[in-house]
Amino acid sequence: MNAKAIIKDRRFQYIIFGLILALVPVIQKAGMMKTSTVLILGSVLIYSIGTIGLDVLLGDSGLISLGTAGFMGLAAYVSAYCTTVKGLPFEVGAILAVGITVVIGALVGLISLRIQGIYLAIATLIIAEILLKTFKELVWFTNSYSGQKVAYPKLLGIFQLDRNSMYLFVVVVLIFLMIITENMKNSRSGRALNAIRRSEVAAQAMGVNLLKTRMIAFMYATTFAAIAGVLYGGLVNFVYPSTWILSLSLYFMAAVVIGGNRSIPGNILGSFVVFGLPDLVLKKLPVVSEMSGFTMIFTGVLIILIVLKYPNGLIHLPVQVISCLKKGSSRKGGEGIHE
Amino acid sequence: MSVFVQLLTRSLETGSIYALMALGIIIIFRTSYLVHFAQGTMGMFCTYMVTVFLKTMSFIPSVFCGVLSAVVLGMLVDVLIIRRANGVSHTGKQIITFGLVMIFLGIAPTIFGVDPITMPQFINSGDLNILGATISYNGLFNIAFVLVVMLVLFYILQKTKFGLAIRATSANEATARIFGIKTKNVTMFSWALGGVLGCLVGVMIAPSSAVTTFVLDSVFNAACIACIFGGFQTFVGPVIGAYLLGVLKNLTVYYVSSVWGEQIVYVLILLFIVVRPNGLIGKKLVKKV
Amino acid sequence: MAAEKLTITNLNKIFVNANGTEVQALKDIQLTVHEKELCMLVGPSGCGKSTLLNIVGGLETATSGEICVDGHHVTGPGADRGMVFQGYSLFPWLTVRENIQFGLRVKGLPKSRQKEIADKFIELVGLKDFADALPKTLSGGMKQQVAIARTLANEPSLLLMDEPFGALDAQTRLIMQELLVDIRQKMETTILFITHDIDEALLLGDNIYVMSRRPGSIREQISISYEGKRDHNTLLRPDFIENKRKIMEMLWQDSSDAANGK
Repeated sequence: MNAKAIIKDRRFQYIIFGLILALVPVIQKAGMMKTSTVLILGSVLIYSIGTIGLDVLLGDSGLISLGTAGFMGLAAYVSAYCTTVKGLPFEVGAILAVGITVVIGALVGLISLRIQGIYLAIATLIIAEILLKTFKELVWFTNSYSGQKVAYPKLLGIFQLDRNSMYLFVVVVLIFLMIITENMKNSRSGRALNAIRRSEVAAQAMGVNLLKTRMIAFMYATTFAAIAGVLYGGLVNFVYPSTWILSLSLYFMAAVVIGGNRSIPGNILGSFVVFGLPDLVLKKLPVVSEMSGFTMIFTGVLIILIVLKYPNGLIHLPVQVISCLKKGSSRKGGEGIHE
Repeated sequence: MSVFVQLLTRSLETGSIYALMALGIIIIFRTSYLVHFAQGTMGMFCTYMVTVFLKTMSFIPSVFCGVLSAVVLGMLVDVLIIRRANGVSHTGKQIITFGLVMIFLGIAPTIFGVDPITMPQFINSGDLNILGATISYNGLFNIAFVLVVMLVLFYILQKTKFGLAIRATSANEATARIFGIKTKNVTMFSWALGGVLGCLVGVMIAPSSAVTTFVLDSVFNAACIACIFGGFQTFVGPVIGAYLLGVLKNLTVYYVSSVWGEQIVYVLILLFIVVRPNGLIGKKLVKKV
Repeated sequence: MAAEKLTITNLNKIFVNANGTEVQALKDIQLTVHEKELCMLVGPSGCGKSTLLNIVGGLETATSGEICVDGHHVTGPGADRGMVFQGYSLFPWLTVRENIQFGLRVKGLPKSRQKEIADKFIELVGLKDFADALPKTLSGGMKQQVAIARTLANEPSLLLMDEPFGALDAQTRLIMQELLVDIRQKMETTILFITHDIDEALLLGDNIYVMSRRPGSIREQISISYEGKRDHNTLLRPDFIENKRKIMEMLWQDSSDAANGK
């Protein structure tokens, strides 16, 4: 493979992206960045994992899930319980967390994906509410409103992480998952998902099993949400029930749509806009920081604008603007109509 | 015996609330082919509006003005946003309703503050004693009120020309348009109606808790489950599903678990649709190629 | 020369995709349908025939160009243009008679008049015994008969039909075609009919427009004049076969051009 091909390869670009992200602790150690910023950036990257997984479901299959926050919380609590309460190694806790979440997700998927797309949305809404209630009620499991403490993970029983190294661990996991997803999209499953998105009937005619492929997409989203949950506990060191509310699931969806669906860079961009922008920028602005609901209003308006005007998301905006400019001078006749 | 009467009336009251919300959901669903996820939050916003009106007016006029504001709000949403979404994919339209949820979840605390606000009842005090059970007059009023509203709506649907337009639009929009039905008016009506029903539900349940940003959330969830339970193919299915849900929930909460009763019923209904995917009154969905 | 019922001038339709690319569905369509004529629109799949019909019917709008029916511009759906689709669009909770009365009911005609007109059309399509039946008890062909009766009861100036017999089996299709010939004789309706079935086009049509593949434009116009009644014998006439050969060659040329990327 020559150098040009390597550079053009998405996966290589992701690795470069990861290396850039890895500079953050260095900048922080040099005193040019607050530790809280590292924490925020780390959280944004963790949320990105959930966004990428959700995009496979939403962008490729067009299915809506309102369970992302619930699943993420479940995995966070299981992992926290295993390590803090039961003293198990980090890896065991992580596997149990993802495993249990995936099983529950599978049950939900099997029930609702057979019928109409909207059933998944409602079923995940209900399951998320049940999970939230569980987090609040099962004090022995979650410590409820007092919050569950989580220590920084100790990898392989040897490497005790601290905030900066945990951040780096998150970066590594994120890039790894980005590469896996890139591979998946080019694989047979990925093409099947794409076929379903274009026309369910045509896809079935070509031998694609509708239920199976939808399940794969939903499982993908659930798994990524679970991984994000495990990492969340490890980075933030505290898990509270009030984090895992419906609004969080809506934010995930916003991140997919705003950034640009069916695009991994778009997912990253969307996560930064939805999860990073408010904490890093908006909350520091004078008038805006007074309004308690500003982040919600901002994200909501943005979501509607993007869906109506730029359905492909912000990541494709530069391309669209350029082609619009090119066309503006050469097109005659009537206006295009959205169809 | 008194337990039975108590449970019955409580079930009817819960069921009525769920039914009213579910009716809003199903009418919008069958005419715009969307689940209006923001119906709960927009209803919550209008309930807050009622508390604002209460500062200068008495109760009934305040509710009336709240309902008016719901009509205006629903129509604005339809005209300014939903209609612009004509070329958007179905998932995209659904996502727009989520955008609306976020906007109203954000606007409400900004305008109305974060402290809970009390809401008076329709009938302030007084209980009825039947067979040893105590039922508040207000509870009875709620049950009757919902019945009246639903009867009016079903009458409109079945007996009036506009109701015919609604049913035709929900059966086949293109055909309805060809025969001269103004489907735009139908959709605008259903969005306004969704807002109105949400507001009325908010006014009815807020007295027992308080007006907060999340006051209609659990009712909305219940109404969605009622639609799944009853089936999305008819107008009457979700209503029946809602009343049944009210009964099941109250029975389970009383006899099985007061903490987990609601959740248990939800799980049971989700299992139910494995066996009967189209709900209680579901007809087989024919997918058009 | 019969008056012009429908004139389409310089019609273009451009769709814009979600990612901003434009797709031209229809290009510079010029088309005229005369009164009492059965005008056929034939073309390969995806050439935009249905889009064109939807635009004439008012369900979609053109990007540019003019459509006039009886001298009036078309801006939206209207009672002057009736449409029959391939899929069954009957209202499932209404009986056959109630379905046929539907347009009249929307117009606000008195009930007795509604029934009178509906019965006339039930008779016309031969469904007298099924007047009170629900659509789910009817066969595919019968449903289409009801759909046609329902549209005709509204007395449209122009009848638009989008492959109405496409979903029916071969036998039923023949019966429906004969029914259509029959109706035309009795009612002298002007019809614009879409089909991809060349036999159907040549059998029923007075005037045939052949469309090219996307971007759809009019390739050729063929006038038909057979003396005498149209029936299965028409299929064997030499001029029928000659026209069929012409059209097939055009469509074949089109698809081989497409395959060669022209």
